Amino acid sequence: MMRGLRGFIQIIDEIGKALLFLSEIIKTLLFRPCRKSLVFEQIWHVTVESFATTAMAGFFVGAIMAVQFTVQMKEFGALGYLGGLATSGTFREVGPLLIAFMLSGKIGAFTSAELGTMRVTEQIDAIRCLGADPMQEIILPRFLGIIVSSFFLLFLGLLMSVFGGMFLGYSLAGVNPEEYVRHIPTIITAPSIATGLVKCFTFAVVLATICTQKGFYAVGGAKGVGKAVVSTAVTTMIAIVVMDWLTSFLGEVFLQMAIGS
Amino acid sequence: MSLKLHEVEVAFDTQVILKDISLEVARGEVFVLMGPSGHGKTTLLKTMAGLVTPRKGKVYINELDFATLGGAEAFEVLKKLGMLFQKNALFDSFTCGENVAFPLRETTDLSASEIQSKVDLFLEAVGISHAKHLFPDEISGGMQKRLGIARALALNPEIIFYDDPTAGLDPITSRKIVDLIKDLQKKNGSTVIAITNDVNRAYQMATRIALVVDQAIIITGTPEQTKKHPDPRVQQFIRGDLKGPLTDNLGT
Amino acid sequence: MIRFKNLVKRFGERTVLRGISLDVRQGEILFILGTSGTGKSVLLKNIVGLLRPDEGEIWIDGQEVSKLTEEQYLPIRKKCGMVFQHPALFDSLTIHENVAFGLRRHFQFSEGEIGAKVKKALALVHLQGIESKRPGQISYGMQKRVSLARTVALEPEILLFDEPTTGLDPITTNAVNQLIQDLSHTLKTTSLVVSHDMQCALSIADRIVVLDQGSIVALGTPTEIKNSPVPLVKDFMAEVHS
Repeated sequence: MMRGLRGFIQIIDEIGKALLFLSEIIKTLLFRPCRKSLVFEQIWHVTVESFATTAMAGFFVGAIMAVQFTVQMKEFGALGYLGGLATSGTFREVGPLLIAFMLSGKIGAFTSAELGTMRVTEQIDAIRCLGADPMQEIILPRFLGIIVSSFFLLFLGLLMSVFGGMFLGYSLAGVNPEEYVRHIPTIITAPSIATGLVKCFTFAVVLATICTQKGFYAVGGAKGVGKAVVSTAVTTMIAIVVMDWLTSFLGEVFLQMAIGS
Repeated sequence: MSLKLHEVEVAFDTQVILKDISLEVARGEVFVLMGPSGHGKTTLLKTMAGLVTPRKGKVYINELDFATLGGAEAFEVLKKLGMLFQKNALFDSFTCGENVAFPLRETTDLSASEIQSKVDLFLEAVGISHAKHLFPDEISGGMQKRLGIARALALNPEIIFYDDPTAGLDPITSRKIVDLIKDLQKKNGSTVIAITNDVNRAYQMATRIALVVDQAIIITGTPEQTKKHPDPRVQQFIRGDLKGPLTDNLGT
Repeated sequence: MIRFKNLVKRFGERTVLRGISLDVRQGEILFILGTSGTGKSVLLKNIVGLLRPDEGEIWIDGQEVSKLTEEQYLPIRKKCGMVFQHPALFDSLTIHENVAFGLRRHFQFSEGEIGAKVKKALALVHLQGIESKRPGQISYGMQKRVSLARTVALEPEILLFDEPTTGLDPITTNAVNQLIQDLSHTLKTTSLVVSHDMQCALSIADRIVVLDQGSIVALGTPTEIKNSPVPLVKDFMAEVHS
């Protein structure tokens, strides 16, 4: 009982720390923005690093969804709707989630390890002593860079998932590409695209906040860096799942309200 | 154990670090390497310890060519070498006691209680028994050095390598470490190969001194011989003069 | 001028500095000696505001700084150049960019001026032609010298050295000590040097302070320190002649 309570308090603590850090970042963004070139550097760096992996992951997520739907669609003889349904499912739910998991492993781990190393080798102290603000100099560019590029990468992954589904539909069920895409516009409505995009954006913010915060506050040598990396991975994944639920839930609520009015 | 290098050349990619190094260290010697930073002291030490493979030439440990040894034999030889790294390389998630127990547990068939008594013995020998259950980041720099030495000694090595054992220590602690290295060497009759940047510490411990300079080695002999060595580079180095052959190519 | 008034710093349960009161004079070279782990580095970090004291005051040029915000501290940091124990170079930047880092933040120089200042600072530590390399490609001793150049390039009024010569060979050690002396005299910088090198302290320091267990046990000119009756200081002195 006590242990459960302590765990709960720890979770609140984590959320609090992350939100405080996020507000620190936003303050920096508003009052002491960093040079744009630093952000572009990060965007370029992160995107190039993860472009291929994300594209591949997206492709297979789409393919997996298509496999699931093919089996059932065949039974009802409704293969024509395969493209629409598989794409809708991927866009709204599975796609952003799985791709975000992958990005948290890749970008999150890399960033927290990099920042943690800078912390334990006194580089962050050195930045302060040389008259610069570490928040402005290293955190903000990474934060913005990660948000922009992971939003882009998530979107890229989702696009690739359409091709993945299309490829599978064709090779497994003989649905040709034109037929596959024909029902996509009728099933995928603006709200489901919006939900997908909102999710991508939310996950990007979650990922960027947690990995920069964990890395920035690493303590105690190589062990500290390792701890920061592990903690980043775990916290990000949990936070992403929770945010996924929250956005889906709120999305539904808004949708109901929109229909009701 | 004795150690011999024959025309050794070490290079990383295209950058040659050491060229044509030949030397012999006899059993029971305290052989001290000095030299300007960036001239390859640490690389030479690591080559002698079998941690860096030379591109050319041979490393003999006890007359055995290290490169030709098979996995099991090489392992037997490596077990007889102990190393204290520049940054101690302590495992910071282990307590001090566990740090010393680690090599014993990994490479011997000793029982848990035998390991514990050995750990106590070595921590006692370096004078940090009281820190057995503390973690490395909870003890001072001098104690960390001692712990590093205890771990290096755990397997009763016949050759011990020390990479700058007194760097960053206050004079009293640094003196104690030098005395400890000498005492342990006398007690075990082992061979010591050490790097230091402190000329006085080198004189205190060495039976023989060598200077690693410009990818090569100048063996300068005993501390007395070193003080009187005719090579101007040696003289500049031990006096720490800012002007001389060693700094000419740096444009000072 | 820097004045410490009854400075106390704790880390959790552990009290590292136990009431340090000390006046550092304008333009002097003050060496801070003491056994390992006795809070020498902590004292330096309190001056630049990387750490804040739990009790007591720090006055720099007539201003109490220990309670300033990060933002208010910037002008203080501009006055202070800190050389870290580890090189603390930025791995992702070239040597040139590392040295130029502070110049770009603190001042508005043209690229040409920055280039010249970087070259000059590197020459002061006997390095040249390595501007385009990265920290990982040069030796530890060289990294340490680059970190010195990075600080010196800013021509600060107060220089803080955290074990500047640890792990350096005798020539570089002398070069660094010489540099500390030269800078102090030509630029009239006040220098605080945390060190283990008693010999060097005796030869270049104006005053020496010895810490033990977080308190000052001796303070004086090299001659006074040489004749100090304090046991710890005597032990330190014993190592100088050997």
